Amino acid sequence: MSEHLDLSQVNVDELPVVPNPLLKLEGATIQFGGLIAVNQVSFEIMPGDLFGLIGPNGAGKTTCFNLITGVYKPTGGSIKFEGNEIAGFNPSKIARAGICRTFQNIRLFGALSALENVMVGGYLRHKTSLLSGLALWPSAIRETEELKEQAMQLLEVVNLTDVAHARARDLPYGKQRRLEIARAMATNPRLILLDEPAAGMNPQEKEELKEVVLRIRDEFGKTVLLIEHDMKFVMGLCEKIVVLDHGEEIAAGPPSEIRSNPKVIEAYLGEPV
Amino acid sequence: MDALFYTLVGIDLNWSSLPQQLVNGLVVGSIYALIALGYTMVYGVLRLINFAHGEVFMLGAYTALLSSWVMGFSPDAIRKFYESEAAKKLADPSYVERSIPADPFNLVIMILLAMAVCAVIGAVIEFFAYRPMRNQSRTAALITAIGVSLLLQYAGSLFLPASPPPSVAMEVNPYQTNVSVTLVPAPKEIRDKFDDSVSALEAAKESGADAETIGDLERKKNDLEGQVAATATAITMTQGKIVMLLTVLVLMAALRFLVLKTPAGRSMRAASHDFDSASLMGINVNRVVTFTFMLGSALAGAGAMMLVTFEGTSMQPFFGMAPGVKAFVAAVLGGIGNIPGAVLGGILMGLAETLVTWLGFSNYKDAVAFVILFIVLMFRPGGLLGSSKVEKV
Amino acid sequence: MNLGKFFAVRGFSVAVAILGCLALDYAAQTYLQDYIVRLVFLAGIYITLAVSLNLINGITGQFSIGHAAFYMVGAYTGGTLTKFFYDASPLGAVAWLIAMILAGAALAGVAGLLVGLPSLRLRGDYLAIVTLGFGEIIRIIVINQPELGGSSGLGFAPKVQGLWLVWLLAVICVAVCRNLLKTSHGLAFLAVREDEVAAQAMGINLTKTKVTAFVIGAAFAGAAGALLAMNEGYINPDLFKMDVSFLILTMVVLGGAGSITGSVLAALTLFAIPELPRLLKIDVSLAYLIGLTAGAIGFVSLLRHHQQRYHGPKAKGRMITVATVVGVPLAGLGLGWLLHTFTYLSDQTYELNNLRYVILAVTLIVVMLLRPEGVMGHHEFSWKWVQKVLTGRKPVAEESIS
Repeated sequence: MSEHLDLSQVNVDELPVVPNPLLKLEGATIQFGGLIAVNQVSFEIMPGDLFGLIGPNGAGKTTCFNLITGVYKPTGGSIKFEGNEIAGFNPSKIARAGICRTFQNIRLFGALSALENVMVGGYLRHKTSLLSGLALWPSAIRETEELKEQAMQLLEVVNLTDVAHARARDLPYGKQRRLEIARAMATNPRLILLDEPAAGMNPQEKEELKEVVLRIRDEFGKTVLLIEHDMKFVMGLCEKIVVLDHGEEIAAGPPSEIRSNPKVIEAYLGEPV
Repeated sequence: MDALFYTLVGIDLNWSSLPQQLVNGLVVGSIYALIALGYTMVYGVLRLINFAHGEVFMLGAYTALLSSWVMGFSPDAIRKFYESEAAKKLADPSYVERSIPADPFNLVIMILLAMAVCAVIGAVIEFFAYRPMRNQSRTAALITAIGVSLLLQYAGSLFLPASPPPSVAMEVNPYQTNVSVTLVPAPKEIRDKFDDSVSALEAAKESGADAETIGDLERKKNDLEGQVAATATAITMTQGKIVMLLTVLVLMAALRFLVLKTPAGRSMRAASHDFDSASLMGINVNRVVTFTFMLGSALAGAGAMMLVTFEGTSMQPFFGMAPGVKAFVAAVLGGIGNIPGAVLGGILMGLAETLVTWLGFSNYKDAVAFVILFIVLMFRPGGLLGSSKVEKV
Repeated sequence: MNLGKFFAVRGFSVAVAILGCLALDYAAQTYLQDYIVRLVFLAGIYITLAVSLNLINGITGQFSIGHAAFYMVGAYTGGTLTKFFYDASPLGAVAWLIAMILAGAALAGVAGLLVGLPSLRLRGDYLAIVTLGFGEIIRIIVINQPELGGSSGLGFAPKVQGLWLVWLLAVICVAVCRNLLKTSHGLAFLAVREDEVAAQAMGINLTKTKVTAFVIGAAFAGAAGALLAMNEGYINPDLFKMDVSFLILTMVVLGGAGSITGSVLAALTLFAIPELPRLLKIDVSLAYLIGLTAGAIGFVSLLRHHQQRYHGPKAKGRMITVATVVGVPLAGLGLGWLLHTFTYLSDQTYELNNLRYVILAVTLIVVMLLRPEGVMGHHEFSWKWVQKVLTGRKPVAEESIS
């Protein structure tokens, strides 16, 4: 057989359909001074995945998120979203490209109401110009109304309609976490990054959260990447998992494999995996 | 090179006056540094810009003035003294008029009083105006500080002598003699000419020349003497300025010792690192804050006393504002919250101002502080020695 | 809302605003003394300045404390253009005034852009000192330009008084800021104030938002400056010193950062406090001064104590507050009256006029100590709020964009 494949002879329809990865990290690296916080991390997330990123404290999980969302610029490697390089873009551009996140230490807009917080999330899809807002033109009013409606629907998804008009700062912790998810959802991202969404929650709240995450994936068709400390939560929720330790990727695969991976057990020494 | 500079910028540089200007800048800068220390220490502990600090400086100057008056150097007392001397002279022609004896001891009392009064004022301001604002937004605390500053200025103009702007009597200061150091003497031919003119004059006097010739020679000698002085590179300053620089050095060394080696200083550093944790670790933060305010205010008081005594600057209730703002800029320049940074910033500021004057832009002297600040902040957003903290996400 | 109805309502409100300002102008010119007319004029200017700074400071959260710089740029633009180009222009006085307002706004807007750019790199106090420094640099540059009149000031003709335009400008400034907060565009500004990192993660362009706030705020201040210059026919750099910046900043914070209503109220009050004593020609003796000072200190400490320590029934708490508010100053006056019997204390008198800035400073400190979030906090005036106060009931569905 000839070494050169003659493309004209290939029937495109007969090729197996392999979906393109939504997010692809290749050797992503970041170095702070002498410290390599994330070293050569590579993984692919397919559309519709429920993907987990785990690892002990200081493993570089949040730094990884910060690389993906543009808070930090990687010092090496590439990050591709839907086939386009996004490494080094500024955060707002990445959010516009379709990646949105929540924060480990909640970062809501404290003085704004829950509803307004979610409306801010919808802001990037705005079409009217600032000028029409300043002049209170009908198009701007209409758009504001639309945003408000969409925000209300999202609040319903995370069960927060009753506190829509309360100040975000005054909400209890669990509700703040859910509000952050609703806010991220409002940007209508294709990939949503959740940074320790279950941290500090009691078991019942965690169950509720699990349902919310599943709804986001199944009902809204979002791809989810989450960082979590709680092994039980991740194992019961995610379908694919990457394990980081000291900035390096030590394992990847479905939960069942991860559970029995000796490296992971070593990294978590003592913790039941 | 000078010619090139002249054609490029149109400025004729007088290199021989540069060292003198640098020393002047150092003196001014050391005063800025003293005031800047107060800003930076308060900021370090409370994250508050103490806008009233310039007014504390003003009150320090007035304390020095009033204490000098109490010690017998009020305009009235001085006038009476000279009148009585003149009367004695009139009665007895052989009487030699005295001048008021200036005792260095008076200066020590003045500076200590200025420091003490300022320390108390600082503590009072902190207690009544800033302590209640401690858990409030920083903007609110800043507005309170502006309010206190306004209050001190305008209440000061009600109660303090202001018109005409008074100044501390020269008679207080025993250190008025000029001290001169020649770095590079005048060119040899000028010196030779001068020596020749001196010997020519002496020869003429000895040979009994007529008055006209001697007068001519004398004029020539004086003329050459002026040339020698103008072409030599020398530093001339009053003894007072030297005393000032030395005092600033002593105060800074004392501050350094206090902050680094004593328990009070350790608490201060802990509080400036993390106020809440420090209070949880059993540090009495209220006492630390009071101490910080007193320390900073006392330094401002010392600076004010020296400025008005040795430089003879006249004062008004509003005159704390300008040095206050400049010292604040100096603190920011060095990295606000950083003690060596404040000293560095203050001295740089003083040097920059005199250099701008030297270049011939004395009108822009007050703007140069901000221009330097802009340039530094563009490259180092946290100031020269400060660290710009990156917010953790 | 259909488009026809919208334009009818909008047309009506614009007409009301213009006619109202014209009516105010006419009434002021006809019935008031020149001095009072000037006060009314300046009140409008200060409202514009405070509300425009509030956009930068209160709404977008950029700590700018050099607002007088933009005011100055506007004033000198108007003054200089008038001095050199008015004679050659075919425009009438009022048309020229409007042209100057636009020119002042444009140039100040450019200055706002220049100052806004460093706000991307600098935070908080560092930004504050840069904005303050910008004002000082501009002032010193102007002082050193003989063409601009230097420190002795710039005189030009003609003087055009546009009282109605000042108030129209104030109304437009308030309307623009309020509109911004009524639509979702305002949310982007508020989000930047609340949390820059999160705002960016939501796709908000920090650069654009901050710079926009600076440009709009500066443009309004510049317009106000041009109006001032044209009204006076003479300007000098001392009119735009740091104190003016501080006064405007104080108006914003005292009213409640972010609250437009608060800015307007505080602008009027703080502007009036130094002006009223000029009108009342009263001498205050040292005795009363001491009494009132004691009263003020007692007032603040008692009210603060009450705020922090009182946990009893509400009605009783309110009664104590009212009693303190009324009683303590009266007690201060009483103390003054008692002290007045000592000749030493009653001989020394001060004109109230000389006390005006002391009064301003004390008001500032007292308000900040008692209500650090500002008089209005984050709240805005609304008819629902009036209804709540009048009926004592909470209206249904409270909705406000803070």
